[in-house]
Order: sequence, then C-alpha cells, then structure tokens
Amino acid sequence: MKHPWFRPSRASSPETGLHGRLFAAAMLSFVGLFVVALLALFIADAGYVNAAAIDYVLHSQAVLDALWLSLWTSGLTVVIGLAFSIPIGYALSRYRFPGHALVDSIIDLPIILPPLVLGLSLLVFFQTGAGRAIQATGWNFVLEKKGIVLCQFLVSASFGIRAVKLTFDGIDPRVEHVAMTLGCTRAGAFFGVALPMAWRGIVVGAILIWTRAFGLFGPVEVFVGTVRNRTEVLPSTIYLEQSVGHLEVALAVALLMLALATVALVIVRTVGLRQR
Amino acid sequence: MIQIEHLGFSVGAFALSNVSLHVAPGEYFVLLGPTGSGKTLLVECLCGLNRIDAGRILLGGEDVTALEPRLRQVGYLPQDYGLFPHLSVRKNIAFGLRRHAPAAAGAVDQLMEQLGVAHLADRKPEKLSGGEKQRVALARALAIRPNVLLLDEPVSALDEATRDGLCRLLKQLQRDTQTTTLHVCHNFAEMLAVADRVGVIHQGRIVQTGTPQEVFQRPCSATVARFMQAGNLFTARATAEGSRLRVTCPGGIELTAAAPQTYFVEGEVSVMIRPENIRLSRDCPDFRGHHAQHGRENGTVPLPDANVLSGRLSDVVDLGPLIKVTVACGPDSEYQVSLGKREWGDLQLSPGSQVSMLVAAEDVHVMFD
Repeated sequence: MKHPWFRPSRASSPETGLHGRLFAAAMLSFVGLFVVALLALFIADAGYVNAAAIDYVLHSQAVLDALWLSLWTSGLTVVIGLAFSIPIGYALSRYRFPGHALVDSIIDLPIILPPLVLGLSLLVFFQTGAGRAIQATGWNFVLEKKGIVLCQFLVSASFGIRAVKLTFDGIDPRVEHVAMTLGCTRAGAFFGVALPMAWRGIVVGAILIWTRAFGLFGPVEVFVGTVRNRTEVLPSTIYLEQSVGHLEVALAVALLMLALATVALVIVRTVGLRQR
Repeated sequence: MIQIEHLGFSVGAFALSNVSLHVAPGEYFVLLGPTGSGKTLLVECLCGLNRIDAGRILLGGEDVTALEPRLRQVGYLPQDYGLFPHLSVRKNIAFGLRRHAPAAAGAVDQLMEQLGVAHLADRKPEKLSGGEKQRVALARALAIRPNVLLLDEPVSALDEATRDGLCRLLKQLQRDTQTTTLHVCHNFAEMLAVADRVGVIHQGRIVQTGTPQEVFQRPCSATVARFMQAGNLFTARATAEGSRLRVTCPGGIELTAAAPQTYFVEGEVSVMIRPENIRLSRDCPDFRGHHAQHGRENGTVPLPDANVLSGRLSDVVDLGPLIKVTVACGPDSEYQVSLGKREWGDLQLSPGSQVSMLVAAEDVHVMFD
C-alpha cells in the first residue's frame, strides 16, 4: 500500500496542486524562520546603537584605518586563495594518486579546527627552525600586516578549494578530451574549456573565502595582535571597543561590517553568478 | 586509414586484449558491441586519450602511438557530444580552427550550412535539441578536416526518427568527404544503416569482422548471434552426413544444415535460424512433396536441402510493418518467424492454427563456440 504522503495530487501541476503548495510552504517556512532569527539579532543590535556611536564610527580615523586594512587584506586573501584553490581543486578532482583521500581530508582540517588553533599553530611554527629561517629571509609575519593575510588565507582557503573542487567534479572530463583532439594541449584544454566552465564555482569559492577572511578575529588576535593603526582589522576594533565597555560602538562597527558584507555579497551574486 | 596492431590496454579489471583492426581509406566501419565491451575505451585509445600498454596505432599511414591527441588529426565525437557550454554554436565549431581564424570563418559558415545549423549560430548548446547538438558536434569534428572520424555512440541518445535522419546524414557526409570513419554503437539497426564493414567487440576482444550481411546472417558465435538478435538460437548436436550436417535440436527435431566452410568437429554446437529466413505456410500434408516437386522442376533447392517443420501457431505480435509469430513444434521447441504484413494477411492464420515452416539448409547456421 502506498504511503498517504506519496498519493499523487489531482491537480495538473506538481507546483499548483494542494500537496505541492503545502510542501513548498513547509520548505519556505524554514527559510523564513532562519532569516527572521538572524534579522531579529541585527535589529536588536541596531536598537542598542545610538547616534553618537554611529558618528564616532563614521569619523574615527582608527575605525577607517581598520576598515581599509580589513578590505585590502581580505581582498588579497581572495586573490591568493583562488590562486591555490583553482589548481588544488582541479588536481583533486581530475587526478587520483596514493593518499588522495588523506590529502583531501587534510585540506578540510582548517574548516573543522577552531580558527584560534591555527593562530596558535602559526605562532609556534615561527618559533621553530623552519619558521625562523623564513623570517631570516626578510619575510616577517608575526605582528605584521602580512601575518593577517597569512591567517586569513590558512583559515579560508579550504572553503574555496572545496567549492572549486565540487565544480570541477561536475564538469565531464570528456569536454576537455574533445578540446585536446581539437588542437589543445592539456593546459590549453584547462584554460580554454574547464576554467571558463567552472566560473560559477570559482565565484562561489571567492565569496566563501572573502566572507571567512573579512570576519576573521581569533587567529589574527593571537598571531598578529591588535595594534591600533597598524594591525587592527574591523573584528579587532569590535573586540577592543567592547573590552573597554563601549558596547554601542562595538555594535556600530559590527553593523558597518554587516552592511558592507551584504552589499558586497548581493553585488557578487547578481553580477558574478548571472547567466552568461 | 585506421590500422590497429595487437593493441593492449587495461584499466582496473577490464582489458582490451590483442585488438587488431584495419579500416580502409574512405571506409565507414562500425564497431558493434554491448555496453561494457570496450568500444569507448578503444576509441579513446585511438584519440590518444589513453596511452596503450601494447601494440601500435596507425592513422592515415602514420604511426601515432606516441603522439598527443592534438597531433593525431582525429575528428572525435563523444557519446554526449562534449559541446562547450560556454561557447556559441559558431565558436564551438570554430574551436579547432582558432589558430587560423580569418581563413576559418568561411569554412565554419559552409559547415553550418551543410549540417543545417546555420540558423543556430549564436545560440548556446543548452538551448539546442539532441539532434541539433549532434549536428553541431559533428560539424566541430569535421571542421579540422580530420584524417579519421571517430564517432562514439553518436545517435544513441536520440529518438528513432531523429536517429534515422542523422544516420542518413552521417552516411552522406562520409560519402561526400570520403573521410575514413569508425563509428561505435550497440544497435544493429543503426549499424545496418551506415556500415560498409562491421566488427563485433565483446569483453575487450574483436570477435568478428565482415560486411553487415555477413555478420548479421553468419555470426561466428552464439554470443555474436545473441547480440544480433538471432531470434532462434539453440544448443544442438551435429553430425556430418556427406556434404551436409545433421543437427539435432531441442525437442529431438532434426535439421539439415549446410556444411561449414571452415573446420568441423562433431558434437555440441550452437544453431541459429533468423526469423525472416523461415517461410511459413498453412499446414498441408504434401508441403514437403510439393516443395520437392517444385525444387526438381526448377533445378533449385533439392529436397535434402530443405527442412520442413510442423507446429501450432502459439503467439502473434504485430510490430507495424512486420508480424512476429511464435510456432510451437513441441514442448521444448519454439520458433520465431517474422513475415511481411501482406504475406501474413494472405495466409489467413490465427493463434492455434496448424502451420508448416520451411527452412533452407543454408539458413540453418551452425556455430562451433
């Protein structure tokens, strides 16, 4: 006997029938619930913030410096993150090698680990021989702006790699094979066919990297510290302000971050993911 | 010209073993085989997408075994067409001509006209029907003026009407361009529509090559016969009797078969009788005598060369242009017979009717596998 839930509706279309509409309503209600919960939090924040706090945030040189530092470090992290995500995602998707599953799992570790641990690990690493050797070449990361990018990159690249790999997994290798019979080298088929076909996944990867990098605090605080006008990013500003009791300023900075992130994501989603 | 010599290639537990094949210049060769027989793998080896373990491959007289795909000058049409979704139809077709862009524009226009896709030039592949995609992929493969055309199940995803039209187009294009073509498929009707010669591949080995009619009427083994939808395929015992074979089929039915042209070992054999090679008649006691008289008068088929079987018509299936009937000659002995609609109408038979079947000895095909 068929389960009553699977009894077909008499309506002509699965979308307009009663069962179809109830099902859609059930699914969409979860969307609504989650969005309302998030918005309720942000509205509460907005209610707590006063005009003086907003005025301070918009005119404070320290906040503007932190904003600029957050923007360029996270932007640079996206560039470096994609430079790694694309070849790694492609290699993991197309090539099988001994230890493939292990490598795949190691790449996911930064997603699983608390970000703070990565900051601590970086601090420890640069105390070792290898870390000191790197610093001796003039590449100083500890307490430097470069360190912010390094933290952001290590924490966020895995998200980009995962998104890009999934996209390449969905592209039939046969289209590259055809390109190779039409005069392309292996690299030519990658750049001429696979890469343009993967652009949506790459945009999604870029979004994931940027959002993770832009809001990163824990490892940056541990590895680079927060020095006003030097290594202070927006999440650090929020931490500093709330630690000295300026809760309304901290929340105003948070709202500024939210506004920026929303605008950026909407632009990328509508322009970057538009059908070409 | 395609020449494959003792090719060996393995992937996992599956292997192409000692595959040798010769396709003459300008020939349309169909490689027929069931799913998983190694057809696609062989085509990929010819394209250079798989590096072979043994043997060598010559295309257009040149040894290409060690060459990269881009240097082999092959037109490759994969199973699902492999169109580039981010490029328009025109750019897809011109893809292989990018280095000769100015000279290519005219060639691309001409190909689009020839294949009837000129009106689709600026569309993206996702907006095309299956038949249109196939034409675009074919134009793209032909654009580079390949030495050989390799078609991997080119029409298997299409509906029957589109498939027939595209098979005619493929054959016509091949005749016009005289491009040596290897077409792999699993559908023998498709094979009959296009092939000059055919090879049958099974479990990574080419088991038979010949003209379509040879392979269709004279399969070399029960496996090939089954794949060719033999209709009547039995395990039987054979004994030599002069220049003929006596074949004892299931149900104890004895048939006379023409002696094989090659070797013969008495014992268990497979026997195939194609349904269209059986003549059906209303049962009449003097059928055998009538046929003998007829044969003697015309000096054509003498009696020992003809087999006459009696049975009861047990099932009739109307397949449109053809009628397929089942005749039961005994508890373990059923025969499939196919005949034209008009012929069926003239016979005025219905299920349960007593019938006779006439099978020439040449049509009782004996296989020793």
